[in-house]
Amino acid sequence: MTRVTLQYYAQLREQAGASSEQVSTSASTLRDLYAELQARHGFSLPIAALKVAVNTQFSDWNRLLAEGDTVVFIPPVAGG
Amino acid sequence: MNRFELTAAPVDLAAQREALKHPGSGGFCAFEGWVRNNNEGREVSGLEYEAYTELAIAEGERILAEATERYGVLAASAVHRVGNLAIGDLAVWIGVSAPHRDEAFRACRYIIDEIKHRLPIWKKEHYLEGDHAWVACSHTERAHELEPPHAHGHHHHPHTVVPAHPEKGASPEKGASVGAQCLHAVTRESLDPSVRWGDEQKSFTPDYSRQVRLREVGEGGQRKLADARVLVIGAGGLGVPVISYLAGAGVGTLGIVDGDVLDASNLHRQVMYDARDIGQRKVDLAARRVARLNPSVEVVTYEQPLHAGDIADVFTGYDLVVECTDDLASRYLANDAAVLTSTPLVLASVYQYEGQLQVVTAEPGEPCLRCLWPDPPAPALAGSCVESGVLGPVPGVLGTMQAMEALKLLLGLPQPADHALQLVNLLDGTSQRLPIDASRGCALHGGCVAVARRALERAHTEGELERHFDRLDAAVQSGYAIVDVREPDEIDAAPLHVTSLRMPSGAISADTLRHLERPVLLVCASGRRSAHATRLLREQGVDAWSLAGGVAALADPAVS
Repeated sequence: MTRVTLQYYAQLREQAGASSEQVSTSASTLRDLYAELQARHGFSLPIAALKVAVNTQFSDWNRLLAEGDTVVFIPPVAGG
Repeated sequence: MNRFELTAAPVDLAAQREALKHPGSGGFCAFEGWVRNNNEGREVSGLEYEAYTELAIAEGERILAEATERYGVLAASAVHRVGNLAIGDLAVWIGVSAPHRDEAFRACRYIIDEIKHRLPIWKKEHYLEGDHAWVACSHTERAHELEPPHAHGHHHHPHTVVPAHPEKGASPEKGASVGAQCLHAVTRESLDPSVRWGDEQKSFTPDYSRQVRLREVGEGGQRKLADARVLVIGAGGLGVPVISYLAGAGVGTLGIVDGDVLDASNLHRQVMYDARDIGQRKVDLAARRVARLNPSVEVVTYEQPLHAGDIADVFTGYDLVVECTDDLASRYLANDAAVLTSTPLVLASVYQYEGQLQVVTAEPGEPCLRCLWPDPPAPALAGSCVESGVLGPVPGVLGTMQAMEALKLLLGLPQPADHALQLVNLLDGTSQRLPIDASRGCALHGGCVAVARRALERAHTEGELERHFDRLDAAVQSGYAIVDVREPDEIDAAPLHVTSLRMPSGAISADTLRHLERPVLLVCASGRRSAHATRLLREQGVDAWSLAGGVAALADPAVS
């Protein structure tokens, strides 16, 4: 299990009900992690609509998770 | 029958009065404004009125319509003179006929107050000493604002006043996309601007000393701002601080794009407007606000949203663009046009308590919006202020940050070397800067320019086929026949709640649709199949349109 800190923006924050959380996950990549979270929180946005960043750098969805990573999921938002 | 006129010739009073006669009239009230021989202690020898004609007529007609609705009068007319007038000449005439005297008096008072307050008419006073001054024809006091709230049946400004769009074809709304872009230039510099502060009138010279004092700005920086042309797309929550700060800073030319009228629900975040402005076009309100804030700024207004067919042309007239709409499609369109015309673009957007900020420099090798998110998500997934809510200061903060980025670019202030997406969460008080690696973005798909060109071409083609509606009943009201081109099982899962013809996209009959003798709006789940079917139907002479974004883009698919 890998312990990671997650930060959510916009609709993801709303659907998760929190702007951040710490989780222990068996997911190995960011893609697997998002699928796991989608099932848990009912996230409506597909991966194609999102950017992901790890430790303040944008990242590839196939990146492997490491202990202590801070992962941020970012959808584009429309309001003005 | 209401009529507002601007005229350079003397007014025929008898004819004006005659035109207001009505069998139901029990009272007629007229007001005449004359040129007097003194103003604010100075002897005046004559006057010259100059009007921004199109806007003045549109606004004048709106004022007459408001007075008619507010006070329930039968007819109202107004005539305003332009050009040179001598002492004693009639400058403005207002006439109202109504069933009873009270409405006639009140409506007449309302019209003259609003004309003085709202019409873009400038008065040049010639003084006996031989000099002259331009005086803005605006008053701050309006009698109807002092009326008790329920003194009459129509207290509020009408909320339904919408700008009239010329119809260019048989189809409803066609004018909105194929009509020529409405463009008004308001040059105040040429009018030797004067402003009125209370009773005192003086010529206004902007004072930029507080910013010129900054070592990085100086007189050289101020000249750069005066020479700069900036386009602000959207005069709403983000646009209000952007327009205010850039006008205050002395940016020479501000282009302002907005197709909306002000709604009461805008006021909690769009702080340069007030309750009296409801129902008026935001571009006009913003232009008026800039004229008062800094009359040396030239304002160009665009009262229709930019579209794929004209956006690149418009961008080439500006040094910098600030995108402030609440619309993802507009943001992507602006991104593509910025990249293609090498115009720097400052993007921001907000969601509830947070926001995003990105500067697209539009220089080769530097990242654009599509480098992050190659395509916008379906509109229904993106969220907007309408659906998701937003706290007023959030666009205020992000718009202020956009103004700052714009000034940094125009002045050439020091910048971080990398390009980043900035995320701001105002609930947590956190902000993070995520550097964007351009080599992982559009570079993988031929580069930003190639990607932007393809996207703009696609938007152009789609735009010619599509109609945008939040609710299908609005489409029905506009005269469209709705044709559901989805498969029966899809329709069963999410039926449309308006009368529609069912015709799966594989089995469309042009003959049937042609006989409807109405424009048809094709609807599918996402807008793809309907766009394809629209193209085929048009080749067979059917006046067909595709619902942009399909059922997924409707405000509430279950009830629309």
